Amino acid sequence: MKISAVFSSSLLGASLSLALCACTNAAAPQATNNSAALISQSSIVFSGTVSQLAATSFADVPKSPQTIVVRVDSIVKKPAAVSLKKGDSVTVEVKDASGFQEGTQATFYTDGWIFGSGVAVKELGHVLGPAAESAPATRAGQNTHGAQGEISDQELRDRMNKSDFVVVGRVTDVRKWNAPKAKSGAPSRVTEHDPDWQEAVVEVQSVLKGGKVKGNKVIVRFPSRNDVAWVNSPKFTKNQRGIFCLNRDQTTGSPTTGQGANVYTCLGHGDALPISEEARVRALLTNP
Amino acid sequence: MKACASSWLRFPAFALPAARCALLTALLLAPPFKTTARFFLTRAQAPPTPAIKVVNLIPASLSGESNQDSEPFLAIQNENPQVMVASAFTPNPFSMTGNAPVYVSQDGGKSWALNAITPVRHMTCDITHAMATGENHPRGDLHAGTLACASGITLDESESNDVALSATMNVQSTRGNVDQPFVRALGVSSGDRIYVGVNDFNQANGHTATIDVSVDGGSTYRSIPIEMRNTAGQDGPSVRPAVANDGTVYAAFFGWRKFNGKTATSDVVVVRDDAAATGANPFQALKDPTDKVPGVLVVKRVAIPWSNAPALGQERIGSTLSIAVDPNHSGTVYVGWADKGSKGDIYTLHARRSTDRGVTWSKTDLPHTTIHNATNVALAVANNGAVGFLYQQLSLGRWVTHLVQSHDGFMTSQDFVLATVPADQPVGKFLPYLGDYDYLLSVGNEFRGVFCANNTPDFANFPQGVTYQRAADFSAKTLNDGAGNAVPISIDPFYFSVPAIP
Repeated sequence: MKISAVFSSSLLGASLSLALCACTNAAAPQATNNSAALISQSSIVFSGTVSQLAATSFADVPKSPQTIVVRVDSIVKKPAAVSLKKGDSVTVEVKDASGFQEGTQATFYTDGWIFGSGVAVKELGHVLGPAAESAPATRAGQNTHGAQGEISDQELRDRMNKSDFVVVGRVTDVRKWNAPKAKSGAPSRVTEHDPDWQEAVVEVQSVLKGGKVKGNKVIVRFPSRNDVAWVNSPKFTKNQRGIFCLNRDQTTGSPTTGQGANVYTCLGHGDALPISEEARVRALLTNP
Repeated sequence: MKACASSWLRFPAFALPAARCALLTALLLAPPFKTTARFFLTRAQAPPTPAIKVVNLIPASLSGESNQDSEPFLAIQNENPQVMVASAFTPNPFSMTGNAPVYVSQDGGKSWALNAITPVRHMTCDITHAMATGENHPRGDLHAGTLACASGITLDESESNDVALSATMNVQSTRGNVDQPFVRALGVSSGDRIYVGVNDFNQANGHTATIDVSVDGGSTYRSIPIEMRNTAGQDGPSVRPAVANDGTVYAAFFGWRKFNGKTATSDVVVVRDDAAATGANPFQALKDPTDKVPGVLVVKRVAIPWSNAPALGQERIGSTLSIAVDPNHSGTVYVGWADKGSKGDIYTLHARRSTDRGVTWSKTDLPHTTIHNATNVALAVANNGAVGFLYQQLSLGRWVTHLVQSHDGFMTSQDFVLATVPADQPVGKFLPYLGDYDYLLSVGNEFRGVFCANNTPDFANFPQGVTYQRAADFSAKTLNDGAGNAVPISIDPFYFSVPAIP
C-alpha cells in the first residue's frame, strides 16, 4: 500500500512536472522543482478553474478576500474519506488572491480546512495553467491516496527526525510487563485508558538512524489494550519483522530494565512499518 | 422495558407507526434512479415525526469515511442556539498530525461541518465542552477539556472565541495524570465560569474526584478535591458537574470504597456549592447525616462491574453517571448511574431525584427508571421542568436509544425510540464502542442531544425519521463515497432534538 502510494506520488509529481513544463502560462522552473515537494506536503491536490472571487462554495466557510471558489477539473491527491470529484466546487483560501481571476486555471496544493456540504481547503501552493490531459492525475477518483491510516512522506520524515533510533528488526519475544510498585506505596491507577503494557524483545538487524545498539537487542514497551488512547499505537507480535521508530521510554515511568538497560517505546502511528517500507524509509533518511 | 412498552401504547402516534409510515412513504415516493450520479448522490430523509429531528453528523464531503466515531458530546450556545458544537472520536480526515476536529452547526442542527480546531493532534481520547455566554462572542466561547494520548495522557483546558474559524483553540491550562474531563460552563456578566470534573490522580490520599474551577473565563483554574472520605486508592472515572442559572453548582461522583479489579464497591456521592464555587471552601454545602462529612451519599456501597473489554454487547462498562439540575429551580436535581443491578443483569441504570437541594433523595429508583442491560444515561431538565432521560439499551441483539421524558418524577412518561440498530455490526475497532457517555441538554423547552450508533441507512432503524448528510442509499441500505464507491458501515454520531413535553 505504501509503496504504491510512493510510486503514485512520484508518478504524479513527474506527470505534473511535465504538464507544467509544457504549459505556456508561467510554469516557472522553481514551481516545477517544487511540485513534488508540494505534493508530498499537501493532503489535497487538484486542478481546477476559478469560478468566483471573494466567495465560498458553502455556507459553513467564513468568506474573506482570500477565499475563492474553484471548479474541480481533476483530482491529483485526496484522502479516501473525502468526497471530491470533477465538477465539484471547492473553496480555497489562497495566500494572495490578486493572482487569480475568474477563469484562471491552476493546480492547487492544499491542506484540508472545513468539511461540510462541500470541501474547503487552504492553499499551500499553486501552479498556474491547465492540468495535462494525459497525466494520470486527471483521472479523477483514480489517483487518490492518503486513506485513513496511511502516513505521508512528510509525516514519516518528521516522525523519524524525532526518533532516537530507527531500526530494522525482528520481534523475538513478547511478554507482559508490570510496572514496579511506586516507592510511595501509592496504588496503581485504574482508568479506562490503562495501556496494559507489554514488552517486545527486538533483535536489531540494522540501524538506519542512531548509534550502535548494545547486544543488537532492544526492549520496546507497547500498550496491548484496545482503548481509544492507544488505538494508533503499534501492537507487536512474535516473529514480526519491520522498521521501528524508537524513543527512550518517557511514558511508563520506569525507563530501564531491572538490569539498567534503556527501554524504548514505539507509540505513534507509523512508528512500526512493514519491512516492505525499507526502501522508502532509507530514501527519506537519505534525503531529509 | 416495562416503561418502554407502556409508553408505546400511550403514545402510538409517535412511535412504531411513524417508522412504518416513514418506510412505506420512502419506498413509494423514492424516484427511480435514472443516472449513476443521481443514484450515488441521493440524500434521504424519512418523513419525520413532527418536530423531532435526528441527523447523522457526518458531512456530505466526508462520505467516504468509515471511522468508529464514538463517544459523542454536545455544546449549545445558549444566547445563539443555532450554533452548536459536537464531538466524537473522529480523527482529522486529512492528516495524522493535524488538529483533531469538532462538528459545528450554525443552523440549529440541520447541517454540520467538521472543523479541525482542537489543540490535540489527529484525534482526542476524551473530549467534552460547553459554550458559555459571558464574553459576548456569538459563535463562542467554546470551553473544552481534551485528553491527548500520543504518548502518555495530557489534559488541555482550552477555549475558542469563534468555532466557525480555523484558529486552533487557545490552551489555557495543561497537566497530566488525570482522566475523563467533563466540562460545564455558565456565562455571567463578569465572564465565563467553567467547571471541569476530572479524576485527578495528583490528589493526595486517593481523593481523586476533583472539580477544576475557573471563574475568569479559563485564565486561571483551581483544582478542588470533592472527595472527603477514604477510598480504595481512588474514585471512579466519572466526575460530573451540573450548573443552575442561579450559580448553584452540583457535582456527582463514584466514591470507590473497594476495588478488586472486576468490581468497584462504590457510593454515589453528590456535593453542592451555593456560590458558584467562588468561596474559600467550595462544594461543602451538603453533608451526609450519617457521618457529617461533605457529600451526600445518594446510595451506598453498590457493586459496579468494571470491564475494559467488551461486556455489554461490544461495549465496555464501569463508570456511567449523570447529574442534571432544573435550570430555574436549583433545588430540584436528578442523578442517574449504572451498577450491577439484580442477579443476571450485566449493567443496570437507575435514576433518583432530590427536591430539597440535594439534602434528601428518593429512597428507591424513580418509577420506570431501573433499566436493565443499558448504559450511557444522560439527564437534562427543560425550562418547563420536564426531565429528559437518555439511555442506550442492549435489547434482543440491538442497541436501542431511548429518550424518556416526564413531569412527575416518571410516574408518567413519554418514551421515544430514537434508534434501534444491530449491536453486532460493525465489529468494534477500539473501546469504547459507542462511548463511555452520550449527552443530553435542554434549550428552553427543547431537548437536544447526541448518541452514537451503527450508521446503516435504514429507516426502520430510526423510528422518528432521520436525515443523512453523507451519501446514502436508503433503498439498498448502503453507503457510498459520493462517487459511486461502496463505503462500509461504521459507527457515526447522531444529533437529535425533541420538544419537551408541555
